[in-house]
Formats: sequence, structure tokens, C-alpha cells
Amino acid sequence: MRGIFSVTVENKAGVLSHVAGLFARRGFNIDSLAVGETEDKDISNMTIISTGDERVMEQIEKQLNKKIDVIKVRRYPDNMVVTRELLMIKVAYTNATRADIMQICSITGAHIADLAPRTMVIELTAKTTKIDRFIRLMQPFGIAEIARTGAVAIQREMDQDRL
Amino acid sequence: MMTGAEVMVRCLEEEGIRMVFGYPGVTICPFFDALYDSDIKAILVRQEQNGGHMASGYARTSKKPAVCVATSGPGATNLVTALGTAYADSIPIIAITGQVSSDLMGRDVFQEADITGAAEPFVKYSYVVRDAHDIPRVMKEAFHIASTGRSGPVLIDMPIDVQRQETEYEPVRQINIRGYKPTIKGNNLQIKKVIETLKSAKRPLICVGGGVILADAENEVRRFATEHNIPVVSTMMGIGVMPGDSSLYLGMLGENGKPHANYALSECDVFMLVGARVANRAVVRPYRLERRGTSIIHIDVDPAEIGKNLGTTIPLVGDVKVVFRKLLDMDFKSDYSEWDYDLAIRKAAYVDRRTFNPEYVDPCKFVRTLSGKMDDDAVYLADVGENQLWSSDNYIMKNGKFLTSGGFGTMGYSIPAALGARAACPDTQVVAVCGDGSFQMSMMELATMQQWELPIKIVIMKNGYLGLVREYQHRCYNDRYIGVKLDGNPDFEKLAEAYGLSYFYLRDNSAMDETVDAFLACEKAAIMVCEVYPYDSVKE
Repeated sequence: MRGIFSVTVENKAGVLSHVAGLFARRGFNIDSLAVGETEDKDISNMTIISTGDERVMEQIEKQLNKKIDVIKVRRYPDNMVVTRELLMIKVAYTNATRADIMQICSITGAHIADLAPRTMVIELTAKTTKIDRFIRLMQPFGIAEIARTGAVAIQREMDQDRL
Repeated sequence: MMTGAEVMVRCLEEEGIRMVFGYPGVTICPFFDALYDSDIKAILVRQEQNGGHMASGYARTSKKPAVCVATSGPGATNLVTALGTAYADSIPIIAITGQVSSDLMGRDVFQEADITGAAEPFVKYSYVVRDAHDIPRVMKEAFHIASTGRSGPVLIDMPIDVQRQETEYEPVRQINIRGYKPTIKGNNLQIKKVIETLKSAKRPLICVGGGVILADAENEVRRFATEHNIPVVSTMMGIGVMPGDSSLYLGMLGENGKPHANYALSECDVFMLVGARVANRAVVRPYRLERRGTSIIHIDVDPAEIGKNLGTTIPLVGDVKVVFRKLLDMDFKSDYSEWDYDLAIRKAAYVDRRTFNPEYVDPCKFVRTLSGKMDDDAVYLADVGENQLWSSDNYIMKNGKFLTSGGFGTMGYSIPAALGARAACPDTQVVAVCGDGSFQMSMMELATMQQWELPIKIVIMKNGYLGLVREYQHRCYNDRYIGVKLDGNPDFEKLAEAYGLSYFYLRDNSAMDETVDAFLACEKAAIMVCEVYPYDSVKE
């Protein structure tokens, strides 16, 4: 099972290593980890995605809560959050393939961030599964380099209408 | 204006600290210099790790955080084992380490170590102080964090320039750590569920751990068990919660425990764990309990312990003392007499089938004799190894304390921790029991004992082996003994003389009573060597 943890932490030196160290030490998986400041510059937010059984998920939540620099831990089931990840991918092109690539981009909502004589950099913000699929679509053209951020997550408003 | 170091000392005075256990070096010198003008005693130890253990012994006896100090680099890294030991047993100690100047940190200069990084898995929290203005807040928070919730060690790393920095001392009274709000009270709904479960139980069992002692809740738990006639077993860290003469007490459970305690565990229908973390030595096969459908009530101040190693039916987070006071207020009738009777019969029928070579000292008999003769409120420290298991198995609990390194199993713990206990309670009888192996891990502290006039009694169960490992090699490696023979042991009598200690010797069981009497009556610090047969074992 997949667990999405949104972890509010003190924005201090060493906190990231404490959290990452906790996962390493206790043998919890980190599928992805993204960190950034929040609107309050003393507070950062980490989005951590992990897999494991329910007992592991519960331990992750509790062990994170035990860290004194962790202010709040929220654990979401998949359907309660909106997750997005940013992909930057450098793809080789020729005159023959350029149009194909651009067409895939327009279908998937990806943008061309930079165009050089033989390669282009494409950016895509999407769900992790969609990004994985996009990468597979680019493989035949020749991928030179990939950078991805890991997913960030935010809780949906669960109002009556939507239910 | 004051220096950062002077502020540190002032803060320690505010916390009521009377002594610190440490070893100086250049980067912690401003702090030591500030101690010069204070009433706080700087107890010089002979190795930093032992300073940490002394603070641990002091904290466990005084029930307040105690302080150890080391310099940067090797001094600080020597503390790591003591921190790990304190962390595993949730002992509140404050470790202060010197650090190289802030502007040199991260450049691998002389005696620099990333101690907060190295100690991270072994502390409840750590600080690197970058500005002397923060010292009062950091100190206040450190003592608060160390001693509240699930207690534990806190490390404060102090760069030398911060210790020298001029600053105003502004006392901090309020603590507000937004990520740290331990749950103390215990949820009332869960407490009701506990009572409901006990009402319908036929064979309930309470298992007490070190958390009961840390919460100072021995009386509450004893009363609850006695009022409702619920039998009690304990983990090694929980020894001392129940008095030895209680008919409800079945002794220690687990791999090294009493068979009737383990029988109770395997037969109970409600298992109530109190301040214990279900480590593998106590509950060897937790899944069996789960599979059998035993209702498991787990009461602990640390939510992360609940459900970690054992699935729980009723989790109850809170301070053991507070929770048990609430439980005592709940009125319920129960009748477990059949179960109590069954266990009482088994307890009475228990025969220790172990035999010991009659030409040597019988270690079990010795522990019973020693602890039986000790003062009612004496502190008994068991080291690690066969001596620890013989001790925990046979120690007669009256109204004293049984201290040992139960979680981490740190050899050499008993002597320094005993010195710390004695420093906290100068009028209390303190006896450390170790093997010839563990004794030699901290025998340099005999000098500390003499220098600071902390007369403790040290028993060495001498069998010329690292006995527990030898036993293990006997059982699992077909007697292929390697790395366990303690050839080269010193002449302990001469060693006692060299340090100016009284010396007692037991060759066999014949003069045990008189010798133990004389040993305990002796004014001075004393060493007593017991000859234990090298091939006598802990297990049958």
C-alpha cells in the first residue's frame, strides 16, 4: 500500500537529515521526497511517499510525530489528495521526429522549455503515473537526461457536493 | 554582561544541578572555567563514556536529569555509547559537548567531530548552539525535553566561540516547542475500555516495564494489581516495580525469565503491557499472542511503542502514574481466583534444576544472600553478562532499586552508574555486581571513586571467561571457544590495594554469610571477588 505523508517541520538545519535518517534506520521505503518552504519561512513542508503494509505506515506516522522538529504529520489515502510532480526531460530530435514529439507534448500538456539544435528540454507537471507514461513515450526518440522533483501533495476540500 | 559559558553554568544552577560528570579539553574549557566560580562540582571521570553512565546512575536514583560533559572530537564520540545506553532505557541525561569554533566547523580541524550527526539515532533531541543569546532557551528546553513524556538523553553541542561570546543573561521561564506536546492524561474512553476488558477477562496478566519506574508509578501499579488480584510479570527493566514477596508477582518473563512467568504469558486472555516496549528478550514470539486472540492492552507514554512490535487491542497513550490513578478510581468487581490459584501452584512448584559446581560460589545463592542482606533501600546494579541474568533472576526486591543496562546491554555500566547513584544519594548503600569481563571495562573509574569519595561496593563474579558468550559458543558453536578466555586477569587483591580499597574473597559457599556481612558493613569502598566455576551456566 502507498502512503502519502505531508509533514510540517521546523525550517532548521539538519531536519531533513533527521527525517531521512529515520527512514533509513528503520528500514522504511522512501519512494519520493520533496521539501519546500511554506508561507511561513520558519516552517517547511515535506511530502513523503512510501510503501509498506498498514503497520509500517502507522509506525512511519508515529516515528515522524516523535521527532521534536516535526510539527504535524498528515497521512492521506490516495483519493484524498491532489498530487503533482514536475518532470524536466532532455530529448534528442531530428527534423523527422520533431513534429511527433511536439504532437505528444500538446496531447499530454507538456511544454517545450528549451529548444537547441539537436535536443529539446520538455517540462511536464502531472501525476506520477502520467509522468512515467510520458517518459516511456519519449524513450524511442532518445532521452539524454531526466530530472524529476518527486511528488508534492495537498489535501482536497471534501465538501458535500463532491461526495 | 556575562560569557556564554557563565550563562550555561547559571542555567544549570537554576535547574538545581549540583554536579556534572565530565572530562575537560580545550573546546569546553570556557565552561569548566565558569564552573570554577560555581558551587556545582566538576567530577572528573577517567573516560567520557563512564561520565555518561554516571549521569545515568545519578538520574535514575534522583529521578531528575543529570549532566555529563565532554570536549569536542574524541571526547564527544566517547560519549556516544553512554547516550545509546541512556536512550535505550529512556534515562534523562543532558550531554554537553565542546565544539570547535563556529567559523571552523565543517573544515575537519583538530578534534572536530560532527557529534550531533553521530549521536542522532541515540538522542531524544540535540542542539548546536550558534548564538549565546539562545543558551537560556536551549538549556531550559533541553531539561524539559529530557525529563518529560518518554524521557531520554539530550545533547547540547557548544562551539567554543559561543561559550566565550558576551551576552546578557535573560532567564527563560516559558517553554513553547510546537512540535513537542507529550500526551500525559490518557484518554478516558480508552480507560473505560480497559476496565470493560478486565471485567470480562478470566486470565488477565500485567507486564510491567521500566516505564513504570520512570513514571514513579510503582505504588499505583502495585495497588491496582493487589486490589484486583491481577498477577504481574516484569521485564528486566521492570524489576523493582513489585516487591519480591508479593504473591501476585511471578518474576521476570522472557528468554531468561521464570517458566511460570512465561506460562502466564502463554495462557492469559488479557495481556496488559505497562511501560514496556515488547523487545525480543521479553516477548520472544509476539505473533503467537496475536494469533491466539489475546486482548492486548498497551499503556505507554510513547505512542510509537504501541503497535510497533505487537498488535494492540486497546492502545492507551499516557503517563503511567496518571493513567493508573484513573484506573484506581474506576470501580469494578472481578474474580480471577481460579487463575491466581493456578499460577500460585505453578510458582510454588517451580524447582530450579540448575546445578552449580559445589567447589565454587553458587552465583544464584550469592545474589539471594547479598540482596537479602542489603539495606531495604539499597541500590543494586547489575552489569551485563551472566552476572546480569543471575542477578535479575535472584535479586530480592525490598524497597530499593535494581539498575542495569537492560535495553542496550552495555558492558561496564554498573561501576560508573553505581558511582552516579552514590553521588545522588550519599547515604545509600550502593552495590555493583559485575563479571571479571565487565569489571575491566570500567575499572579505571576506581580512581574516580577514590578521588570523589564515593564508596561503593563492587562484586566481581570471576570465572575467567566472558561467560555469557562462552555459554553461547557452548550451545550454538559446539564449544569452539574463541575470544572469550580472560587470561591476563590482574590480581584483584593487589588491584584493590593499589587503589586503597578493602578486599574480600569468596572461594566457595562455605563462608558466604559472614563474608557478605563483613563486606556490606565495611566503611570504605570495597571489592569482593567470588570464584565462579567457568562452566556454570545461566540456563539449564
